[in-house]
Amino acid sequence: MSGPGMLTALLVLPWLAAVLMAVVGRSAAFGRLLAMATMLVVAWLGIALFAAFDGASGTLQYGIVLPWMPALGANLRFALDGYNVYFMLLTVLLFPAVLACAWQTDEGCSPLYLALLLALEGALLGTFLTQDLLVFFVLWEAVLIPMVLLILVFGGAQRRRAAQTFFLYTMAGSVLLLAAVIWLGAEVAQQTGRWAFDYASLQALQLTHAQQLLVFIAVGLACAVKSPLFPFHAWLPLAYGEASPSGTALMAGVLSKMGAFGFIRFAVPLCPDVAQQLAPAVMLLAAASIVYGAVLALRQQHYKMLVAYASLSHMGYILLGLFSLHPTGVHGAMVQVLSHGLAVAGLFLLLGLLEQRRGAQWLQVHGLATRAPSFAVVLMLFVLASLALPLTSGFAAEFMVLLGAFSAGYTHWLEGAGPGMLAAVLLAATGVVLGATYMLQFARSLVFDDSSVAERLPDLRVRELLALAPLLLLIVWIGVRPATWMDKVDTAVVAIARSPSVVVVGANHAQ
Amino acid sequence: MRSEFVFALGPDLLLLGAIVALMLLEMLRADARWARVAFVVSAGAGAFLLWQQLAAGYVSDVVPGELGTDRFAQLGKLVLLACGLGVAAGFAAARGYKFWLLVTSSMLGGMLMLGAAGFAPLFIGIELLSLPAFALIVQGQGHTAAAEGAFKYLVLSSIASGLLLFGVSLAYGMTGTLSIAAWAHAFEFAGVQGQAAGLLVLSGLFLKAAVFPFHAWAPDAYAAARLPVTALMASLVKAAVILALARIVATMPLDPASTLAVTVLAIVSIVFGNLAALGQPRFRRLLAYSSVAHAGYMIFALLDTTGSRGSDLLWYAAFYGLATVLACASFAALCPDGDDELRALDGRFHTQPVAATLLALAMLSLAGLPPLPGFFAKLLVFKSVIASGHVVPAVIAFVGSFLGLAYYAGIAMRLFQQAPSVATAPGRADAGAAARERAAA
Repeated sequence: MSGPGMLTALLVLPWLAAVLMAVVGRSAAFGRLLAMATMLVVAWLGIALFAAFDGASGTLQYGIVLPWMPALGANLRFALDGYNVYFMLLTVLLFPAVLACAWQTDEGCSPLYLALLLALEGALLGTFLTQDLLVFFVLWEAVLIPMVLLILVFGGAQRRRAAQTFFLYTMAGSVLLLAAVIWLGAEVAQQTGRWAFDYASLQALQLTHAQQLLVFIAVGLACAVKSPLFPFHAWLPLAYGEASPSGTALMAGVLSKMGAFGFIRFAVPLCPDVAQQLAPAVMLLAAASIVYGAVLALRQQHYKMLVAYASLSHMGYILLGLFSLHPTGVHGAMVQVLSHGLAVAGLFLLLGLLEQRRGAQWLQVHGLATRAPSFAVVLMLFVLASLALPLTSGFAAEFMVLLGAFSAGYTHWLEGAGPGMLAAVLLAATGVVLGATYMLQFARSLVFDDSSVAERLPDLRVRELLALAPLLLLIVWIGVRPATWMDKVDTAVVAIARSPSVVVVGANHAQ
Repeated sequence: MRSEFVFALGPDLLLLGAIVALMLLEMLRADARWARVAFVVSAGAGAFLLWQQLAAGYVSDVVPGELGTDRFAQLGKLVLLACGLGVAAGFAAARGYKFWLLVTSSMLGGMLMLGAAGFAPLFIGIELLSLPAFALIVQGQGHTAAAEGAFKYLVLSSIASGLLLFGVSLAYGMTGTLSIAAWAHAFEFAGVQGQAAGLLVLSGLFLKAAVFPFHAWAPDAYAAARLPVTALMASLVKAAVILALARIVATMPLDPASTLAVTVLAIVSIVFGNLAALGQPRFRRLLAYSSVAHAGYMIFALLDTTGSRGSDLLWYAAFYGLATVLACASFAALCPDGDDELRALDGRFHTQPVAATLLALAMLSLAGLPPLPGFFAKLLVFKSVIASGHVVPAVIAFVGSFLGLAYYAGIAMRLFQQAPSVATAPGRADAGAAARERAAA
C-alpha cells in the first residue's frame, strides 16, 4: 500500500469500526474482536509509517488533501511531519493496550464502550495528523464527546459531576481558541486575498507583536487547560479519579498530550517573538506545576490519585523543555511526550487490573512482590520509568529537558535577562527528587509492605502481559538508545528551537 | 407568461392546493391519515420544483415589484419545507385535518415572505405565518395555560404587525413606493424619518423572531403548545422571519447606529437566552430560551459586510431549524405521554438508544459543538462577523455560547447516565458497578 493510502486507512478505519459497532453490537464477543483487530491494524499501520518516516527531510510526508469547505479554504489535509509523528505513534500504541486490559470487564463487553474507544482513537489521530487549523479545531473538540461519554457511562460514583466538570473546563479553554482560529483565517484572507487555514499559510503570516500575543494567549489557555498545567488543573482530580481505568489511562496518556501538541504546533511556531518573551513565565508555571503535582502526590494515600498528581507533575517537564527553546530541551520535551504517555498509561492500566482483581478492596492491596511476582515486576518497571531511572525513557527525557532548560536559563541570565528562567529550572530539578520519593513510596506500599494476610491474588495473565509488553519495550528502547527516535523529529525540533530569530519551519512546503 | 407564473410560484401554489384539498377532504370526512399524506405530497412536490428552479438557475420577477423568486428565496423556501416535512416525519402526534391545515397556511405565509419584493406581500405573508400559529397553540387543548400562551402570542404579535405597518407607512411616505428594493436604496441617505422607519420595521421583525428584549411571549407560548407546534414555531416561524429580515436588508451594510444596536441586541440575546435556559427544568421552556439565543446568533450575521450574510443565514436557519425539529421529535419519542420534565430523560440511552442518540446529537448540534452541523452554521456567522472587523463582539458572543453548552450538554449527559431506578444488566455488570462505587466512596 502507498504511504498516503496507509495514512488514509489509519485515519478512516477507527471511524468505520465505530460505526460498524452499532450494527454488530448485539454480539459482544464479535464486537470486541472487531475493535481489537481494527486497533491492531491501525497500530501496525502507524508503526510502519513511523518506521518509514524520514525525519531528516523536514517535509510533510504521506500527505492527503480532500476538498472540504473550499469557500473558506479549509481542506481535509492530513500528513505526517516531525511535529506529530510521536503523537501518532503514542496514540496507535496505547489503544490496543487499553482495550486488552479492559477485555474481560463489563465495559469491555459493551458495544457503546467499544464504539466510543474507536471514535476517540479516530478523533485523536485526526487531531494530530491534520495540517489544517480548522480541521484541527473541529477534531480537538470532537475528542471531547467520546471522552466525556466514557467518563459518564463507565465512571465511578460521581461520574456525572466529573464528566460535567471535565467538559465545561476544557470547553471554556477553547472559547478563545476558536476566536483565534477564525481570526487567523481572516488575517490570511486579508494578507493574501483568500481564506486559508493550512499550517503553511499560517506560518507565512506576518503578525505584529500584539497579534501574536492574542494568538498565544488563546492557544495557550486552551492547551494549559487540556494538559493540564497548574493553575488550570482543577478538573483533573475529579476526572482522573472518577473515570474508569481505561478512561484515565487515555486521558493521562494521550488526551493530555493534545495540550502539549498545541503548544508545540501552534503557540511557539506561530508566535515566535511572544513565545520567547514569555518563555520565563511559562517555564515558571511549568516548574510550579511540577512541584505542586509532586507535593500533592506525596500526600496521597489513594493509589490512583497519586498517579494522577504524578502525571500532572511530569507534564510540566514537556513545557519546561519546550519553552527553553533550546534544541536539547525541545528534544527532551518531545521524548517526554512519548515517555510520559507510555509510563503513566501503563501505571493506570496496572491499577485498573488490580481493581479488576480485588474489586473495592484494591486500595488495601500490599505485598505484590510475593503474591503476584510478574505483576510486581511490570509495575516496578513502569514506576522506574516514571521516576526517570537511567536507561528508561523517563531519564532520557527529563535529563535532556533539564539540561536544555539549564543552558538556556544560564545564557538568559548571563545576557542580563533576569534569573527567572534559571530559577524555574532549579525549582523543577527538585521535582526529580520529589518524584523519586513519592514513586518509591507508592512502590513500597503496593509491591512490598507485606501484610501478613496471604490472600490469593491472580498474577498477570498472558493477555495482560502482551498488552503491556510493547509499552515496556518502548520505554527501555528509548531509554537505551534515544538517538534513533530523536532523528525522526530532529528537523522539527531545530525549527522550534530557532523559531524566535528566524522563522524556518520544516514542514513548510506541502508535498 | 402564464406558465412562468405557475413555475415561479409553483411551490406556493402547491401549498395553496394542499389547503383546498385538506378542506375538501375534511368536508368529505375522509380518514384523518390523508391529511399528513396531502401535506407531504404537496410539500415534496414543492421541494422538487424548487430543486428544478435551483438547478436551472431560475430567476424571475413574476409580479413586478410584488412577488418574485431568486436563489435566496428558493433556498429559503427549501429550508421551510424541510422543517415542515421534518415535523410530518418526526411526530406521531402531528395529525388531524385542522392541524395540517394550519401548518400549511403558516408555511404558505413563510413562502410568501421569502418571495416578497414589496411590503404588501411581505405583510400578508407575516400575518399568514403567525395567525395560524396562534390557533395551533390552542388547537386540541382545553386548558387555560394554552389559551394564556396563545393570547400573549397574539397580542404581542399584533403589536409587532402594528410596528411593522407603521414603519412601512413611514417608508412609503419617504419613497412613494412599497417596493423593498427602493426602500433599502432610500434608507442609505434618509434622515430621521428613514431611521424611524428602519427602527420600527426592525422592531416588528425582532418581536416576531423573539429577539431580546422582544422575547417575553416566547417562553409562555412555547410551553403552552404541544411539542410538534413548539417545534414548528421554533423552526419554521423563526426561520421565515429571520430570512425575510435578511431579504429586506439584503447586502446593504448597516449604518453605525444600527450596527451598534444589532451588536448589542445580538449579544444580549445570546447571553440572556442561554443564561435563562440554564436553570430550566422543563424542555419546552428551555427550548424557548435557547431559541432566543439562536435568534441572537442569526441577527449577529447582519453585522457582516463581506456580502455573505444571505448564505450564512440560510445555512444557520437550515441547521438550526432541522436540529430543533429533530430535538423535539426525539424528545416526543422518549416521552410519548407529553411529559415535559427533563428528569424523565435520565438514563434513557440504555432503554431507547436510537431516540436518545438523536436527541443528544440534536442538542450538541444546537450547542454548536464540532463536528456537528450546528458548529459549521455558527462558524459561518462568526467568520463573517470577524472578517468584518467585529472581533470583540464575536469573542463576547463566544463566551455567551459557552453558557449554552452547559445546558445542552446537560441534557445529553442526562440521557447517558445510569438512572438509579433503571436496573442494569444482571450479574457481572451490576457487581462491577457496585464495586466501583464502593471503591470510589
